[in-house]
Amino acid sequence: MSLFSWLRPATPLLTEELQQRLKRLPVVAELGECSLREQRWVVLDLETTGLNLNRDRVLSIGAVVIEDGAIDFSQQFERTLQCADMKLAPSVLIHGLGPSAIAAGSDPAQALLDFMEFLGDSPVLAFHAPFDQHMLGRALKDHLGYKLAHPFLDVADIAPLLCPQAQIREAGLDEWIDWFKLEVFERHNASADALATAELALILFSRARQQQIHSPLNLQQRVSQWKRRQHAPSF
Amino acid sequence: MCTSSENFPIPNVGFFSRKCVRHFLTSDTRIAYLDLRPMGTPHAGADDGSVIRQQQFKKTAVMVMSKADAFTQAGKTAVLQNIQGTLQFLQRFPPFNQMEHAHLAYLVEQCQLRFYAPGDSIIKPADGPVEHFYIVKQGRVVGERPHTAKGGTETTFEITTGECFPLAALLGERATRTEHLAAEDTFCLQLNKLAFIKLFALSSTFRDFALRGVSSLLDQVNQQVQQKAVETLGTQYSLNTRLGELAMRHPVTCNPATPLREAVTLMHEQQVGSIVVVDEHKAPLGIFTLRDLRHVVAAGTNDFNEAIERHMTQAPFFLSPDHSAFDAAIAMTERHIAHVCLVKDQRLCGVVSERDLFSLQRVDLVHLARTIRSAQRIENLVLMRGEIGQLVERMLAHGASSTQITHIITLLNDHTVCRVIELTLADKGDPGVPFSWLCFGSEGRREQTLHTDQDNGILFEARDAAHAAEIRGKLLPIAQQINQSLALCGFTLCKGNIMAGNPELCLSRAEWARRFAAFIREATPESLLGSSIYFDLRVVWGDEQGCEQLRRGILDQVGANRLFQRMLAENALRNRPPVGRFREFVLARKNGEKATLDLKVQGLTPFVDGARLLALAHGIETNNTLERFRQLVAKEIIQPLDGAAYEEAYHFIQQTRMQQHQLQTRENLPYSNRVDPDSLNHLDRRILRESLRQAQRLQSSLTLRYQL
Repeated sequence: MSLFSWLRPATPLLTEELQQRLKRLPVVAELGECSLREQRWVVLDLETTGLNLNRDRVLSIGAVVIEDGAIDFSQQFERTLQCADMKLAPSVLIHGLGPSAIAAGSDPAQALLDFMEFLGDSPVLAFHAPFDQHMLGRALKDHLGYKLAHPFLDVADIAPLLCPQAQIREAGLDEWIDWFKLEVFERHNASADALATAELALILFSRARQQQIHSPLNLQQRVSQWKRRQHAPSF
Repeated sequence: MCTSSENFPIPNVGFFSRKCVRHFLTSDTRIAYLDLRPMGTPHAGADDGSVIRQQQFKKTAVMVMSKADAFTQAGKTAVLQNIQGTLQFLQRFPPFNQMEHAHLAYLVEQCQLRFYAPGDSIIKPADGPVEHFYIVKQGRVVGERPHTAKGGTETTFEITTGECFPLAALLGERATRTEHLAAEDTFCLQLNKLAFIKLFALSSTFRDFALRGVSSLLDQVNQQVQQKAVETLGTQYSLNTRLGELAMRHPVTCNPATPLREAVTLMHEQQVGSIVVVDEHKAPLGIFTLRDLRHVVAAGTNDFNEAIERHMTQAPFFLSPDHSAFDAAIAMTERHIAHVCLVKDQRLCGVVSERDLFSLQRVDLVHLARTIRSAQRIENLVLMRGEIGQLVERMLAHGASSTQITHIITLLNDHTVCRVIELTLADKGDPGVPFSWLCFGSEGRREQTLHTDQDNGILFEARDAAHAAEIRGKLLPIAQQINQSLALCGFTLCKGNIMAGNPELCLSRAEWARRFAAFIREATPESLLGSSIYFDLRVVWGDEQGCEQLRRGILDQVGANRLFQRMLAENALRNRPPVGRFREFVLARKNGEKATLDLKVQGLTPFVDGARLLALAHGIETNNTLERFRQLVAKEIIQPLDGAAYEEAYHFIQQTRMQQHQLQTRENLPYSNRVDPDSLNHLDRRILRESLRQAQRLQSSLTLRYQL
């Protein structure tokens, strides 16, 4: 045994079948110059045991697909992850996933791999994307030993970038839903949140085109610029 | 009855895009849904469905599992949350609320959700044959058609949440004729043509909706109206029921020679109020009722062994078993009879009594009419007004349409007016001059509701002006008395003094003719208004000949005077239906009250004015608006489809207005024609909007016809 082996993370034990599937996952590309409409997007929302980036875990994954500029109802992803030793925590009140629902969920490795296959090489959209990116990345590392490299775009950044007139600071998903007068169905799970986020994204893509932002790469660059400006001290 | 196969040639296999195939490769549940379709059900369209399915299975043969497996799989796969949410959303709207769950789930799963910013084109004529079916999930879509005459575009329709488009183009496999644009931030569910076709084959509810459009919704509304009224009153059977279903199967009969005593014994044993006297071929010769028996007894007859034919009512009134309960009710009211024989192939096959028609009612139409006609004092007539209100409510409950109800109200009002005239003449003494009592306006058109005021006049014959003045002198006091008595009976006095007691409305035939000719010749705003009231004239009491001559005079003069017609057309455009370009309804706000629209002025008047103008211009003698539309269609002045649409729309607005009145009575509120669209349910509101749009269409057709 090598001296430093304890420093390396323990590689999770995977069945032959899962390893094969893992190998077949597509290589992720950078965002390109194709049009916003041509790009297939996956809109993601996770329910977690809490907001602690290091301790809390993913409970369920909900995702919808924007393809050809529309939300395609025939491509949706929805899984609850099995989690044997979950303690009843206050977050239960938020995500509504009781211990029994969790216990009946799918094997996490299996579910995560299913999701990665669903995701393919598409970029991810999420509201407060860094959180989802981190939580998903950690779960993938823990359960599959997989390194998440997909580009994530944060709808919470795109919205104020394209609608500066909204004047709502630190707005949450609910505020933006109100601002755009979106009529959303009851939201109490990851899928419904993902759908609401996706509807928001459709409106924003329409606004983006009006503001001469035509490609995913272009959008990503504008978001980065906007964020730098936001963080720069103002004189 | 597989109508769909003509409308939908099966698309060639090329229609299956890569994407469709992928659906089948990736999802097992989809296959399960397809097979949930009731196989071999009597519903139409099965042929199409199976052919399409076979094609799909051929394409994806490798992946298709056995049907049993598919079912198990479907059971295991829970319906996705978002599919469920969208399902529930659609279930708020017709026709989706009546579709089978599996069919609706199939629809949702095949959908794409698209966003359109204001001004975005959704489909346009240049796109070629329509490839998608759209349901508005949120927002508003408007139809813009290029304006032929003026250039630019006009908004032809609006589509809002829960509604769908473009059915006609999709069914006709052609391009849309109207560009559909988003009027605000809009989300639409988009279903591809293939899925639409399949759904059309699967769901009879959906097919019915797609083929019949708004008409199928109207049927639903009518059912709803009946249901609501039935709930209040707890009775059920429709006035449209066939008489054959209501009548006694074996009417009590006897031959003409039967002794009176024997016939009455038979009636007594069978507990019936009438016996029909028939010949050897069962053809009815007469009827003998309890009323006749009363006459016999009152007349002091001692010999009850006389043959019944001496006492029966000869040649009894009859209808066929295919006539409706409504027909019988009207006949009884008009003729003051309580029994109607049913005759088929000249043989008696049943008897309907008024008790059969209104078995559970305390007060009924026939009884009411008879009581009115035999009332001895004005006070009795006054008391009966309340009963007419109850009757209307029951009529609604029995499924009467607004047309039937206005007909009945007109009938009862006519009886009341006649009785008031008779009682007044008995009271004041006969002036010894024959005269006719005229009515105008809605009464003249037989379109009265309970909420009505007096519009009447007197017509008499006179040799010359001096003679006319002399007769007028005699008739005016009587007319004024009649007006006052009618007011007591609930006919509000006319604010504009259009009443027979006004010397200007108690005229000889020559004076009326001169007055009407002046209306047509001068065409001032006042005379135009006058023509819209007086030209719907009708005789309620007295001789009808003079009135017919007046009417022919009007028709001849209007028909020959294009300028007057044009002015009438302008006049008919004054009351614009309150549907807006940018909003559902354009509402008036009065004194800070809630915004409302006037069903009579803004909804019915455009139809009434339009129908009057076209009828007068084309020599149509009838007054009733719906009847005018029918005759205009018969004379090929308007298209049958348009006529039917106007009729339906007029009918619906009138129905809504009456329900409104009933509601107001129940809550002790004053009568009002104003309605707050928000107080209507979704379906009613939507159809009201469509109905008002028909009024708009009628007006634009007048604009075109008279080049305004």
